[in-house]
Amino acid sequence: MAVILNIGLIHYLILALFLFLTGLIGVLISRNMLRTVMSLFIMTIAIVLNFLTFGHYCDKTMENANIICIFVLTISVVQTIIALVILYKIYQANEYLDAEKIKDKEN
Amino acid sequence: MESNIFYFYSLFILIVGSAICIILASRMYLALISLFCLICTTGLLYLALNAKYLAVFQFILCGIFLSVYIFLLLKKIRRLNLSLKLVNPAKIIISMFWVLLFGGVACLFYNEEYSNSLYTIFNFIIENSSDTVKFSQHIFPLHLVMLLVIVTAAVLRIFLSSQTQKQNEEDK
Repeated sequence: MAVILNIGLIHYLILALFLFLTGLIGVLISRNMLRTVMSLFIMTIAIVLNFLTFGHYCDKTMENANIICIFVLTISVVQTIIALVILYKIYQANEYLDAEKIKDKEN
Repeated sequence: MESNIFYFYSLFILIVGSAICIILASRMYLALISLFCLICTTGLLYLALNAKYLAVFQFILCGIFLSVYIFLLLKKIRRLNLSLKLVNPAKIIISMFWVLLFGGVACLFYNEEYSNSLYTIFNFIIENSSDTVKFSQHIFPLHLVMLLVIVTAAVLRIFLSSQTQKQNEEDK
């Protein structure tokens, strides 16, 4: 009971693990490529949360963790936007974003 | 103390719920709303970890910028109400099995290799470096990274649009 009530490092790590695994499942099971991109973003958020947790519990100034997280977030957002631009172009060419349909069309 | 526990667990449920809703939503707009909720709730969790600047940063960059960008994109291609499908059930079960196996193996590895002490992996955060630099000096390369990425995106966009035009002409 005390483990559940005393919020600590492990609780945040479990949350980050849940989030990461949910994102991974999303990448594996979704057919729509836009949702795959969203799932990748969930995984990025899990990583940021992991860094912040370590920063909070191991380095009280939080300086390094903040810097790493800002970098990770910025790069992931830009990466997501590039992926969306590519998806838009794929949509213009195929009229759908279903990965399986596109694969069938290529075959 | 009690409010802290309540705050953490309510956010835990909201975050995991939003993430599951994204991957299982039946309509595209529901997935988008869930993404926005996920961004806002994780921002609130960052506040609990004393990272208020990052929370604001995430809210502006992801909540306002990214979500609105996806919304406008979907509106442009008229797919806001698109029904989303999952892959066949067998593949879902196999994927979940692999993911759970991966999670289990990763946890066991950390437990065995680092004696349940995850701190050691992130030693670079704890280390007190002698050559301390200011926050602004760390941030400086970010401009370069963003500039490079924007230039790459622009080049990629031009390249893709020309390729799409070529493909469309070939199809016709």
